Amino acid sequence: MTSTFALFAPPSFLDDLLLRFFGQETVNYVVWPFIQIGAVITLVAVWALYASYLERKISAFMQARLGPMRVGKWGLLQPIADAVKLLTKEDLVPEKADPYIFRYAPYISVAATFITFSVVPFAPNWGVITDVNIGLLLVLAISSVGVLALILAGWSSNSKYALLGGLRSSAQMVSYEVSMGLSLIGGLMFARTLSLSGITTAQASDSVWFILYQPLAFVIFLISGIAENNRAPFDLPEAESELVAGFHTEYSGMRWSLFFMAEYAAMVVVAGVATTVFLGGWYFPGVYRLAGGSNNLYVFLSLVVFIVKMAVLLYLYFWLRWTFPRYRYDQLMDLGWKWMIPASLLNIVWTAVTIFVLQALDGRLDTVESLNRGVNLTGQGKGVAVFMGFAGLFIAALFLAYLNRHSRDFNLKKQRREIKLVDVPKGAPAVARAAADNA
Amino acid sequence: MSLVKVPRPTLGERLKRFFMADMFKGMWLTLKYNVGALTDKDSVKGFGIYTEQYPSVRPQVAPRFHGAPRLNMDPETHESLCIACNLCALACPEDCIDVIAMDIEMSVGGKPRKKKVLDEFIFDTSRCMFCALCQEACPTACLELTQEFELATYSRAGFVWNREMLEQGRESRKFEA
Repeated sequence: MTSTFALFAPPSFLDDLLLRFFGQETVNYVVWPFIQIGAVITLVAVWALYASYLERKISAFMQARLGPMRVGKWGLLQPIADAVKLLTKEDLVPEKADPYIFRYAPYISVAATFITFSVVPFAPNWGVITDVNIGLLLVLAISSVGVLALILAGWSSNSKYALLGGLRSSAQMVSYEVSMGLSLIGGLMFARTLSLSGITTAQASDSVWFILYQPLAFVIFLISGIAENNRAPFDLPEAESELVAGFHTEYSGMRWSLFFMAEYAAMVVVAGVATTVFLGGWYFPGVYRLAGGSNNLYVFLSLVVFIVKMAVLLYLYFWLRWTFPRYRYDQLMDLGWKWMIPASLLNIVWTAVTIFVLQALDGRLDTVESLNRGVNLTGQGKGVAVFMGFAGLFIAALFLAYLNRHSRDFNLKKQRREIKLVDVPKGAPAVARAAADNA
Repeated sequence: MSLVKVPRPTLGERLKRFFMADMFKGMWLTLKYNVGALTDKDSVKGFGIYTEQYPSVRPQVAPRFHGAPRLNMDPETHESLCIACNLCALACPEDCIDVIAMDIEMSVGGKPRKKKVLDEFIFDTSRCMFCALCQEACPTACLELTQEFELATYSRAGFVWNREMLEQGRESRKFEA
């Protein structure tokens, strides 16, 4: 029987305790999910607080500075001081703003990101809040609602900078949403399920991470994910140097910080999805043996594995932000539409070819174990799939280079080389003559 | 015919561009600084932290640095070394020193004599350019520009130092780490 909706029983030691107060069904369907939701919301809120601290620290270290050092040891209490400051600040609504939309836009932003956590499988068994069989679709759908919040915030502020920021963010998110969704399909073709827990178990049962089969999709997903989260180098909606602060120009105090909470939480969502689909989720070879039969220990260790993988990706976010300069707006759109979307479409085709080749080779080599629940491959089959995956990187690069051969590209040298002088008046100007001399 | 003559990229350059070598170079640099900040405490390899934690860690100023003025006293008798000769005031290009002397009656060997001693010394640090010409002019090594550099005050009047401030040092609030 395939249920569309699955909840998980609490760990045994907690189950005994809870059963004293509630019935079996109440525990499984009400009490334990609420405990999980509370834990996740608390953790994500704490993360959102401390992400600002980490951001400041890491940026400082990368620039040979110290960062916050005053409040508490190593400035560890800085986020709390910031939170107190933001909570006590005046909640300003501009006179000409649309008061209701302006007030509620941050809530939409936060709610949209927090709902997506409901399906992220943090660990097997009791580490999952709920396992919906359209989990990935739900994540993509709900997280794109977050765009609405930014547009509403930008529009209702009645300020040109906020509006420009909002429009930019909507354009950016809409274009990168496509490649983000498409890049996940390759992994789904191997896992053959949309349930995030299912994708993880597909990788665990094969003892492989899909990043090996899908390196191209992983790169596309990361880039699109960063763009989707409005993080540098794609932080055009809040480009400080041109738009003041983008869509949250008019916001202050707690509402402003809600946007930031949503941004940092959305980072976790994207990192979580990337971990689940490409890095094997909570699966790590040897963890099951390490737990030695203790189910609770196994779940806990898996949780740690998941968090470590996510932390690596989150560090990458900070790392990229403090390394690269911001894209120009047209370059951003170029990258989205001319590079990311064709590449993700190619990846789908290439994955289909890979699976076809695997099946075709099955007679000669021994590649496919079974195709009933996801693509189960033998050792040789895995080798072929990994080879095809990495070959896909090069094929995609060649394909994109061919596709964009006539389009403007980022290579300014090439642009300069290829500028042709048209309509040079008689008695050619000095510039043209010098150029002619050079040529 | 191109506007600017740009050489065609070589195969190596093309490969570098294809594998995005410059991108990874940039990321490697920031990573080195990040790791250096955590491991290379005293910035031995040049990738550590350069920031000084100012109020708790005082920066080392150069030996030739000239800061706040001071009137030195005889370490034994605790009398001012200043003989009110006015040479410093004459040497000062900014004219920011005022030496106010007074005559005191005293007997030397039973005979009444008048002696010129220092009454008040006015040093306007807001006009001072810390050239230390006064320090060089001083015959008794009394006036000296120290290495103290915290000279900010809340008012213009605060920049004008009198004899007491010059001898005892100005009272300032120091922050503890």
